[in-house]
Amino acid sequence: MAKDSNNKNLLTLENIESGYGKVKVLHNVSLKIKEGQIVTIVGANGVGKSTTIKTILGLIKPSSGQIKFKNELINSLETYKIIAKGIGYSPEGREVFGNLNVYENLRIGAYTVSKDDFTKRLEEVYQLFPRLKERKNQEASSLSGGEQQMLAIARALMQDPDLLILDEPSLGLAPIIAEEIFNRLAEINQMGTTILLIEQNVNLALHLSDHAYVMEKGKFVLDEKASILAQNDYVKKTYMGIA
Amino acid sequence: MDLTYIFQQVLNALSLGSMLALLAVGYTMIYGVLGLINFAHGEVFMIGAFTAMYAITGLGFPLPIALILAIIASVLAGVLLERFCYRPVQGSGDITLFITSLAASIGIRSLFVMLFGSRSMQFPMPKYLQGIRFWGDILITDLNLIIFVFTVIITLILSFFIKNTKLGIAMRGVSYNKQTAEAMGINSTSIIVATFVIGSALAAVAGVAWGLQYGNVRPAMGYHPGISGFIAAVLGGIGNISGAAISGFLLGVGQVLFVAFLPSVYSGFRPLFVWIVLFIILFYKPTGLFRSNIKWE
Ligand SMILES: Nc1ncnc2c1ncn2[C@@H]1O[C@H](COP(=O)(O)OP(=O)(O)O)[C@@H](O)[C@H]1O
Ligand SMILES: [Mg+2]
Repeated sequence: MAKDSNNKNLLTLENIESGYGKVKVLHNVSLKIKEGQIVTIVGANGVGKSTTIKTILGLIKPSSGQIKFKNELINSLETYKIIAKGIGYSPEGREVFGNLNVYENLRIGAYTVSKDDFTKRLEEVYQLFPRLKERKNQEASSLSGGEQQMLAIARALMQDPDLLILDEPSLGLAPIIAEEIFNRLAEINQMGTTILLIEQNVNLALHLSDHAYVMEKGKFVLDEKASILAQNDYVKKTYMGIA
Repeated sequence: MDLTYIFQQVLNALSLGSMLALLAVGYTMIYGVLGLINFAHGEVFMIGAFTAMYAITGLGFPLPIALILAIIASVLAGVLLERFCYRPVQGSGDITLFITSLAASIGIRSLFVMLFGSRSMQFPMPKYLQGIRFWGDILITDLNLIIFVFTVIITLILSFFIKNTKLGIAMRGVSYNKQTAEAMGINSTSIIVATFVIGSALAAVAGVAWGLQYGNVRPAMGYHPGISGFIAAVLGGIGNISGAAISGFLLGVGQVLFVAFLPSVYSGFRPLFVWIVLFIILFYKPTGLFRSNIKWE
């Protein structure tokens, strides 16, 4: 895939410091995603991957640094305004609205778009995840883990975002389901959506991605083409369990 | 003590049940989006009643206009409460919210005592609502019937709205998980304000109904109905609109029957009924007042 050379930057983070109250989690984090790419952040539990995402989305505010989406500074915007600029988000642990049915969850995903766009988009998303259409009137809390993950992704796709952010979509899923989800992500990307992926399943993730960052203790320690990282001895040993 | 008597008492309780239902629905919606027992809801109800009373006796407006003014005043009160009392303390924990709302309730009530004195003021009832009709031995007032029908219609419309509209779905989403709702592009603050608007408007309707039914208003009038409405919301399952409405009716009927079966010297003990119900709830489910999975129906 030669998507990474000429395209424009869709999202950039420059020297971000961020955390929770007095606790600093991210130190001098910089990241770049070009239009059309799939970029992955890998790293062990608790190093700050989700914190990076939450900072991008404005759920927590960075104490210094710049975040630009489509060349526009979004640091100080409220979350709902950042989302409306064209970001779809599938949270860690899926966080579907358990009290709403599948259709209603998708309706919320399309909160920022018109009713007409919603109706059109609903069919497209149902085509991508036929299982959701079958279960459209079922309460989200009654779905299996894999179905909930599909719903979380579908919900994030409802506004036809320019950037789709996924926080550990394979967490807790059987390998075969995880693979199915990754196949969908490849399709989604081929249809033109840029993807930022957080993943602990490093093997799957590096195969899917164009570019990857390795995070340790709130810093990026490696930043490379995914195909190159997949051959990196340190990455193989530390994150893929290959000696 | 025959069936006719019981049936008569139930009919008499229709308006009280309706008011409690309207209050309970407001409680349950606001609890849903904010995780807050809005103790000042009884005062929002009182403000509606006072506004209507003043619009009729002071300004000479007809009842329908007075009702609209009451709704405007209560909505304003609810929105100001949200903006200046609850929003500043958001996220500071259950106990802080609890105390803030208790303080707001006492503060508003005291303010009205200062302005108007603590005594009851008369709430006039228009002639066209004074009719009564008989079904055999059973008597029913037009007012009772109208309040009941009005409440049923409002509750049905509201349920439909919550179930089917984008705003209704968003309200349920915010109730379930505010942060995730924000991350889906929902401005949760505006959803919370919208919820206060609806809840306060319902409280105003209940307040006007109260004025009509009992013929007077006073600053402390919101206290007992407020508690009853809150308990009905708990009984109905927090976040459950139809549950709250039905529990409100049942609590109203229960209160009236409770005193109907006691010797008449105990008629002042009507509010005791809700405290007994509350005691029973807490006895069997000590966490019942605070923890609940929010599932709007
Ligand atoms: N809400 C929070 N409040 C305080 N500290 C938090 C919060 N969420 C995460 N942390 C801390 O921030 C660090 C990074 O967490 P996180 O970004 O969730 O890691 P990852 O997603 O890489 O597993 C951890 O030490 C974690 O304990
Ligand atoms: Mg995480």
